[in-house]
Amino acid sequence: MDQNLSQLVEDLTTSGEPQLNPEKMKELKKMCKSSDEHISHVYHLLMTQLNQEHAEIRFSAFQIVDELFSRSHQFRMLIISNFQEFLELTVETDFEQPLPPPMEVAKKLKKAAIQSVQDWHGKYGEAYKKLSLGYHFLKQNKKVDFQDVTARTLAERRREEQRQSRLENIYKEKVKTAEKEMEEMSQEIQAVLTEMKNCFHLLMPDPFDFALNDAEFEPTTHAKEDRPTSSASEQPVDHQPSFLGHTDDEQPCCSKDLPSISRCPKIDRTVGLPADPQEEADNKAAPNDEDYETFVRSHGLGSHKYTLSLEVSPAIQVHENEDNAAIINTISDAHKLISSKFLPSVQTWIQLFTRAGLRDDRLRRAIDLKSQLEATLQKYNKMNIDSKGRIRKVMKASDDEDDDEFVEVPEKEGYEPHIPDHLRKEYGLEPRSPPKALGRGAVARPSALSSRSQPRRSEEELDPTSAAATLKLIRDKLPKLPPLNTSATGNSEPAASGEPDNKKRKLEEEKAKAPIVPFGLDLYYWGQDQPTAGKILKFSSQHRFWAPNETEEEVENKEVAEMLKSRYITFAGKFEPVAHRCQAPMPDGRLCDRQDRFKCPFHGKIVPRDESGKPVNPEDRAREEKERFEKQAQQPEWQDPEFMREVEAATGVDLGSSRYDRKRKGGTKKGKKKKYPKLTDLKQQANTSRSRLEKKVFNKEAVKRVVSAMNRMDQKKHEKFANQFNYALN
Amino acid sequence: MLGFISARQVGLDDPLRLRRAESTQRVLSLELNKDRDVERIHGSGVNTLDIEPIEGRYMLSGGSDGVIVLYDLENLSRKPSYTCKAICTVNHPDVHRFSVETVQWYPHDTGMFTSSSFNKTLKIWDTNTLQPADVFNFEATVYSHHMSPVATKHCLIAVGTKSPKVQLCDLKSGSCSHILQGHRQEVLAVAWSPRYEYILATASADSGVKLWDVRRASGCLLSLDQHNGEKSKASSEAANTAHNGRVNGLCFTSDGLHLLTTGTDDRMRLWNSSTGENTLVNYGKVCNESRKGLQFTISRGCSPEFVFVPYDSTIAIYTVYSGELITVLKGHYSTVDCCVFQPNFQELYSGGRDCNILAWVPALREPVPDDDTEKQCLNPAYEDAWSGSDDEG
Repeated sequence: MDQNLSQLVEDLTTSGEPQLNPEKMKELKKMCKSSDEHISHVYHLLMTQLNQEHAEIRFSAFQIVDELFSRSHQFRMLIISNFQEFLELTVETDFEQPLPPPMEVAKKLKKAAIQSVQDWHGKYGEAYKKLSLGYHFLKQNKKVDFQDVTARTLAERRREEQRQSRLENIYKEKVKTAEKEMEEMSQEIQAVLTEMKNCFHLLMPDPFDFALNDAEFEPTTHAKEDRPTSSASEQPVDHQPSFLGHTDDEQPCCSKDLPSISRCPKIDRTVGLPADPQEEADNKAAPNDEDYETFVRSHGLGSHKYTLSLEVSPAIQVHENEDNAAIINTISDAHKLISSKFLPSVQTWIQLFTRAGLRDDRLRRAIDLKSQLEATLQKYNKMNIDSKGRIRKVMKASDDEDDDEFVEVPEKEGYEPHIPDHLRKEYGLEPRSPPKALGRGAVARPSALSSRSQPRRSEEELDPTSAAATLKLIRDKLPKLPPLNTSATGNSEPAASGEPDNKKRKLEEEKAKAPIVPFGLDLYYWGQDQPTAGKILKFSSQHRFWAPNETEEEVENKEVAEMLKSRYITFAGKFEPVAHRCQAPMPDGRLCDRQDRFKCPFHGKIVPRDESGKPVNPEDRAREEKERFEKQAQQPEWQDPEFMREVEAATGVDLGSSRYDRKRKGGTKKGKKKKYPKLTDLKQQANTSRSRLEKKVFNKEAVKRVVSAMNRMDQKKHEKFANQFNYALN
Repeated sequence: MLGFISARQVGLDDPLRLRRAESTQRVLSLELNKDRDVERIHGSGVNTLDIEPIEGRYMLSGGSDGVIVLYDLENLSRKPSYTCKAICTVNHPDVHRFSVETVQWYPHDTGMFTSSSFNKTLKIWDTNTLQPADVFNFEATVYSHHMSPVATKHCLIAVGTKSPKVQLCDLKSGSCSHILQGHRQEVLAVAWSPRYEYILATASADSGVKLWDVRRASGCLLSLDQHNGEKSKASSEAANTAHNGRVNGLCFTSDGLHLLTTGTDDRMRLWNSSTGENTLVNYGKVCNESRKGLQFTISRGCSPEFVFVPYDSTIAIYTVYSGELITVLKGHYSTVDCCVFQPNFQELYSGGRDCNILAWVPALREPVPDDDTEKQCLNPAYEDAWSGSDDEG
């Protein structure tokens, strides 16, 4: 019976399920009902299970306790006699004994336990003193709010508060710095904003103050405001500024507007917007009937059926030209500044302020700044400033600048026989004729200089400081020498061309055949006889009296002599890729694909095999057969590991299947069957990459190793600098 | 019991004998009784308790929030269940601002009590007006004070503070009259001998316990040695030690012949108070982690005397002279700091850090169940509630 009871409790508590198995529970209750002894036995069993370091076990045990508590006075007495421990194990009253993992179940357990304690107190509170004491203890000391569903205890709340206050402090600091930053930056931002605003004004005047200021804006106006009515003109509209002042109606294409449009005559022509004749039909003119005639007449229109349609391109395009280049430059700079610097920082401020829970002026100011910046950016985007040309131009400009500024001038000192073509002008020389001509004519002489610059050159030559004078001097000094190396080589070629053709071809063929070898000493002394080759000179003592008895002044060393004339050529043969495969059959039925030359690391010596992987040679086959036989002898056929494992699982007797497993798989497979497969595996949960690394890093052996290595290093340092007192000291 | 009564009736026994037997019997059956409750006043841990020795009716308690409460323990309602009412609570601005460490009644009268606190003061209170009659100020926090229960020739209060000097305050002059020097660290507990009015015991964090004759202020009378002089001779240490940790509890037996000390080395030792000899009674481990003074008590009028010691969150009862653990009273949910014995009714009151003051009352003898009808009058909460049919379980 006792066996049965403990088995039942164990089954119930290790099920790992959130609900108890009702049948087993019923059985347990029946047993408990039968005798008080069983109850105390169950109580002890349950307390052991409650002490397990697994929240699921505790939770199930607690559920059983809850069931029995409401039923048996005896059980109540037992539980209440040890109520402190019970609370520690279920409600986590002792913070040095937190509830075990898994976390979610632990939370559930705590919640359920608090709920139950409250219920029990309501039911049995006045009868059991310690129960009510425990209840009050939870309520007043642990500050468990029984209404609070999350059931946080005081310490948790305090922890939370501490975290909160720490965060707040951090935020406060951050807000302070951000505020300072904002103070500093907001002026800058305002300056940039005004700058940009002014630039916008310059590029596109506001239609409202246009009438007043049109004279001023006339020259710079290239586009119009982005309102729907304003038509964007691609061309400058210098001569028609007043038009902009009128066109702020909502429906530009409606014939209702005709009268108003009529105020500015010849609109199509001036604005350059084509009237679409196709839309004539659907746009009915609907003026007042009385006006009809007068209207037609006064405007010199043939009929009233004209429709004027203005095509408004929704996108404005601002083109760059010389007039507004500076402005656009400024704008784009400001835009870059805003989008890359100001806007992100303003956003971070706002984020910071909101996170810090700030609701005052600072936040408002930051938001204002942000909206201003965003509006400006939007405006900029709407303007569609055509900056492609600009960029190109800028690029070009910068290239030019580079060329201008960073020319590498070769160092020159006096004589400079070769002057690059593009520099000749600089030296006051006349551009040389192409090298070809030079080569052919072989007359790179003063006479080759073109006559055009002759007078000027002669003038310059008179000036001793000029390069031309120096050149002249040189030329005069070396009259016979060809002035340029290039021309010299060019000259030699045609001279050789006079030899017979066939000989030359033969030479070519030989050349093609001859191996190319790296240059060496043997080539250096090719065909020469070296008088001193291989001779080692020994200098006799320079001392007046102390001369060695017999000194061979010269020693001939044949090897050295040989060395100067010989050449070692290593011939390793050619690399031959391996064409064959191992082809040994593998357990999964495939053939081994390894391409080793002689020996496969897995299947031994490579022997020729057929398609099924069997060796072709009979002796190989016999050898393999033998090996397999030996292996089988090691592990009898009937001890199939799989089968054995099954048998073990069924009978519970260890037949040693794990032995073969280990041998075969290197012990990688988990050996032990889990005791309670239904419970959440805590080890699995704890098996994170971090814990694995920890195991490795904080392994005792590893630590010892590191320590010893570091000690050794220290030791070395000491040995090295032992004589220096400051090293000796530490 | 009946035998004792009849023997008493016929005059065979000394009247004391019946009393002793009965009170021992009652002490052994102490339990947490649902009928006796102490009103819950303290909002934080209870540090100290004291029952006035005259009637044994009023109890003082000092909390770690500086509140002093006065309870009436007497049940005059003629009903079994009784909640000890707090007659008054001293928490007006005159009271201590920090934790009250010790309260003590004036031994000869309920008109006065004393309290000392971490705010470096010792206050003398007039019970009837609940106004402080006198205040002694010290330079360090006060751990403990004690007034001699038997003194007739002096009116000294011994005060143990954070400084190693024990101070004696004279109530007659209202000033500190003596300073006893000898300890090297803070003094956690002081106790006057209930036998000789000039003998004082002090316990310190330097693990020493000293006995003083206050008439001779130049030095201590005895310094208790746990090894009875055997080991300390060999060791180079000059000072005798009573424990291997801080000594934080002192209690004389009611006859004053023996002294009990507790220390943070989880030991309790019994000393002969006249010779200063360690009696080597082994009480086993007495868990003690208190950093302050610990208040424990000894029963009075039982035939083996019992000592009640706070043991973590329980109270352990040992026999004093044999060191046998009788029982463990479980009821507090946090560390117990003090307990006090009411000798007239053999009741025990204990205060702990869970803010509770628990009354441990002798269990009444179980009435012999005559028939089944008696069972029904029990509290319905005690009944089992197994569901009837097996199907429901």
